[in-house]
Amino acid sequence: MQKQNRRDFLKTSAILSTAIAGLSTNKTKAKPKEILSEDRMGVLVDTTVCIGCRNCEWACKVAHELPTKPKESYSDRTAFKKLRRPSEGALTVVNEFSNPQNLNIPTDVKVQCMHCDHPSCVSACIVGAMSKEENGSVIWDTDKCIGCRYCMVACPFQVPSFQYDKALNPKIMKCDFCFERTKIGKLPACVEICPVETLTYGPRSELIKIARDKIKHNPDRYIDHIYGENEAGGTSWLYLANQDFAKIAFPNPGDKPMPGTSESIQHGIFAYFVPPVFFYAILGGIMWITKKRKEAE
Amino acid sequence: MIRRIIFISLFVLINATLFGQAKVSKNHPLTGLTCKTCHSCNVPTSKDPCLNACPRAEMTTVNQTPAQSPEVEVMKELSNRYAPVVFPHRTHAQMSEMSGGCQTCHHFNTIGPIQPCINCHETKRQRDDISKPDLEAAYHQQCINCHREWSHRIDCTSCHAEKGSNESAAISSSIKKMTGKIHPEIAEPKKLIFETKYKSGKYVTFYHDEHVKVFGANCVDCHKQQNCSQCHDKGKATMIVTSLSGAPIKMHKPEQQHHKPCFSCHQDDKCSTCHLEKPSGPFNHEASTGWALNKFHENLSCSKCHGSVKKFEKLDPACTSCHNNFIQGKFDHSAAGLKLDENHSSLECENCHENKDFSKPPVCSSCHDDKNFPKDRPGKTVGKIPSKKIKSLK
Repeated sequence: MQKQNRRDFLKTSAILSTAIAGLSTNKTKAKPKEILSEDRMGVLVDTTVCIGCRNCEWACKVAHELPTKPKESYSDRTAFKKLRRPSEGALTVVNEFSNPQNLNIPTDVKVQCMHCDHPSCVSACIVGAMSKEENGSVIWDTDKCIGCRYCMVACPFQVPSFQYDKALNPKIMKCDFCFERTKIGKLPACVEICPVETLTYGPRSELIKIARDKIKHNPDRYIDHIYGENEAGGTSWLYLANQDFAKIAFPNPGDKPMPGTSESIQHGIFAYFVPPVFFYAILGGIMWITKKRKEAE
Repeated sequence: MIRRIIFISLFVLINATLFGQAKVSKNHPLTGLTCKTCHSCNVPTSKDPCLNACPRAEMTTVNQTPAQSPEVEVMKELSNRYAPVVFPHRTHAQMSEMSGGCQTCHHFNTIGPIQPCINCHETKRQRDDISKPDLEAAYHQQCINCHREWSHRIDCTSCHAEKGSNESAAISSSIKKMTGKIHPEIAEPKKLIFETKYKSGKYVTFYHDEHVKVFGANCVDCHKQQNCSQCHDKGKATMIVTSLSGAPIKMHKPEQQHHKPCFSCHQDDKCSTCHLEKPSGPFNHEASTGWALNKFHENLSCSKCHGSVKKFEKLDPACTSCHNNFIQGKFDHSAAGLKLDENHSSLECENCHENKDFSKPPVCSSCHDDKNFPKDRPGKTVGKIPSKKIKSLK
């Protein structure tokens, strides 16, 4: 990816905006970079397997050079008392819920960026810092990012977070699907450390087949729903569970790609420049009338 | 001469094919499986048996007794972060007899020797076939759920010794500790009284012994998804003691889970069939169905009359609905304890037994004005009927 700092970005945007002002706006639709490779990777999370050891939380912090307590401290199960969200200091967290099938074994659910197939953060990013990569990861260029936090608002899963506590150079933070690790043929850190292989890393299409097989062979163990297969237009991370996903704190974003809604509003306002022209015409009309009235007085 | 050569070469060829394949096992094609369960091609040979990669399907040919199985296994395939795990295999094999048997772990095993996990589950996390877990995950998924259910702990060191200098000494001492251990016999409860939260029908009394001995239920009919924690839960040890003592057990699982084992037979029953105001006595055929089992029926198994289906259907209470020999001429009346005299033996049954209801005393008044049963008898009393005789009457 091309490196670009904030000053460069401001310069180019100033030049571009003056250039665009004189041109027709027809061709500048801000569509997200739509690279949906057939072999894009994903992770299948089998929540019925997870034991809540939170090793993934530790491995994630180590892989992303975030400050962390020693690994042994993660066996402390009091962390489950509160429902936690991924934050700028912990890109993935595990939450615990009661298990209707067996009260002795709770259901543990790992949460991180879902890596949508049609990411709304990419669509919302006004500087094009975010992108959906060919291998399925949704990543961002810190140097391009201007810290507007539009991605945080746009995300249907409320994943991106912001380093509010940093006065200088705060950054947007979220799971990057270990882009730097997978690039060199390594597994994502959480997948590698999981002792029970709750997380299966592989091509998304194959994972869906495996998930369907699991449901078919164990109809008592799973509900017939692969979360992420269609949610928000499909996500790279897929989940299996033994209870309704609403009960284990998953939102229901619908099956349509999220950018569809936001973009139609955004683009509708400026479609063919008709609404702005219409709006200015009304303002002009009012001005003209009031001016006439004053003249008449 | 040419004929002889052809004959010999044919003989060799046939033998080679026959013996090449017959080596696997004598009854290899007789296991009741379809070829395609194990082989992916149409003509498997000993050289190329084209065996399927172990699918996760319920299919196993492991039928060893715990005594035949290895006593202690040292699992050292993955010992990089921790010392090898010493696994008391025979104790677990013995415990598995109370739940799923060998296939709890050996869930897929083709004919022939018993496969260790490593034959199917790869040692590397990063691999081509992701349809089945890798070895580390396979071990952990198999072990952890039971272990954490009764200890409520998931720390690694409960099974794994830390890697270090005295590793081999620790292993040999735990092998010594685990050798010769057996599980004590399980105490079966006679009855369990459940105290529910309902205002009416608070108590459900479950007669465990009746379900096993009288109704002929198999253990697995109810105990489907149970493991060690049924008894070995450090947090609920008192519950087991309570259940054996006969004191009421408070609801400790979600309602649906309490009902599940009962509903495979009782799904059409009313709540009040099981839920009563107070702990109830054992099953009583008269109280439950309105039809008393007299001395002739009380020793019969349920299936003798109701068939062997799990759900016992209501039967026509008329004797003749089962006893098709209760007609004049066919029935030997001495089986009922009374040999009819000559005058009475040619009569129709309903002449004395009104409406062919044999449960009521016979009526003499239709013919005799001055006679009354049991003072007067239409024959000779022959005493008790041997139970063998009763069975043959059916």
